[in-house]
Amino acid sequence: MKNSVFLLIAFGAFVLFSFKPIATKLVTKDAHISFFSHTVAEDITANNYKVVSTLNTETGEVVFSVPMQSFEFEKALMQKHFNGKDFLDTKAFPKAKFTGTITNLSAVNFGKDGTYEATVKGELTIKGTTKPVNEKGTVTVKGNQVEVKTKLKVVLADYGVTFAKGKPSTNVSKEVEVTLNAVYQPEG
Amino acid sequence: MNRKKVFKNVAMLGAAALLIGGGFVLYLFNMPHRDVQATKTDFKLESSQLVTEYLKSADEANQKYLDEEGESKVLAVTGTVSAIKDDLNNQKVVLLKNAGEKAGVSCTFTEATNSHAAQLAPGQTVTIKGVIRSGAGYDEDLDLYEDVILEKCDVINN
Repeated sequence: MKNSVFLLIAFGAFVLFSFKPIATKLVTKDAHISFFSHTVAEDITANNYKVVSTLNTETGEVVFSVPMQSFEFEKALMQKHFNGKDFLDTKAFPKAKFTGTITNLSAVNFGKDGTYEATVKGELTIKGTTKPVNEKGTVTVKGNQVEVKTKLKVVLADYGVTFAKGKPSTNVSKEVEVTLNAVYQPEG
Repeated sequence: MNRKKVFKNVAMLGAAALLIGGGFVLYLFNMPHRDVQATKTDFKLESSQLVTEYLKSADEANQKYLDEEGESKVLAVTGTVSAIKDDLNNQKVVLLKNAGEKAGVSCTFTEATNSHAAQLAPGQTVTIKGVIRSGAGYDEDLDLYEDVILEKCDVINN
């Protein structure tokens, strides 16, 4: 009798541990963020492939850390302006950050291949200013690799990035479109 | 001197100024990106030394290494190759990090230099030159240590 109880517990423990997801924290150190600004005067694009991000499949927490000086522009002068004190002031604020949670986590099955619609609620901090963000994105599960894609609009003035005079005021859109693409692997 | 002549001179001067000014604006607008590999190295140091500086005081290190317009310091960093990967932009990324260290120095190569990174092997000691983009540090939200980021990298001879 004692033996069978022991066996039952051992079996139970085996089942529990063998079916527990192996990794709950997914990491990438090369997520891609680009932004696009459209005005009648010109279109401006910048790319950043050095974004660090984590995704916790158990809690739904997502974090993005963006090294601001890694944004690359076609024109060197634009890049200088972007980094400069009047714009993103990247020496004083070298990183932007997003922290948030997937609010419909039950709709995303990290254990099954497929593409899922996710909603994320969180806070975005740029140049020391934090604002709430609510966005939709897709989560694609393929084996132990998870890809997240989303697009969001960022109103520059919300983060204290303003330009009243000169060329930037006509050539940079007040609202830029930010596209994000992250391919995660289990931490380790 | 008659009025006509004065007017002509002023017009010529104005046209010349416009041409020079216009040329300057055009030059600024089309100014090429800085060639990091052709730029003089600002600091030569070990990867662990750079990481330690950042872990000690990120503010002080940023003050020392980052530039207000993004043209930050060009570093030649010596360290042990811990991993070689490809990023989403199809560039080679070499991580310099000693076993047991909390953070390393992540070096992203370019289309022109990727082949040099591909020849490296984990465990090898190497010196890599590139521009610093951001520092190392523990991030509470990520719950992990971020590496120092260098870009526009190439392997250089010591």
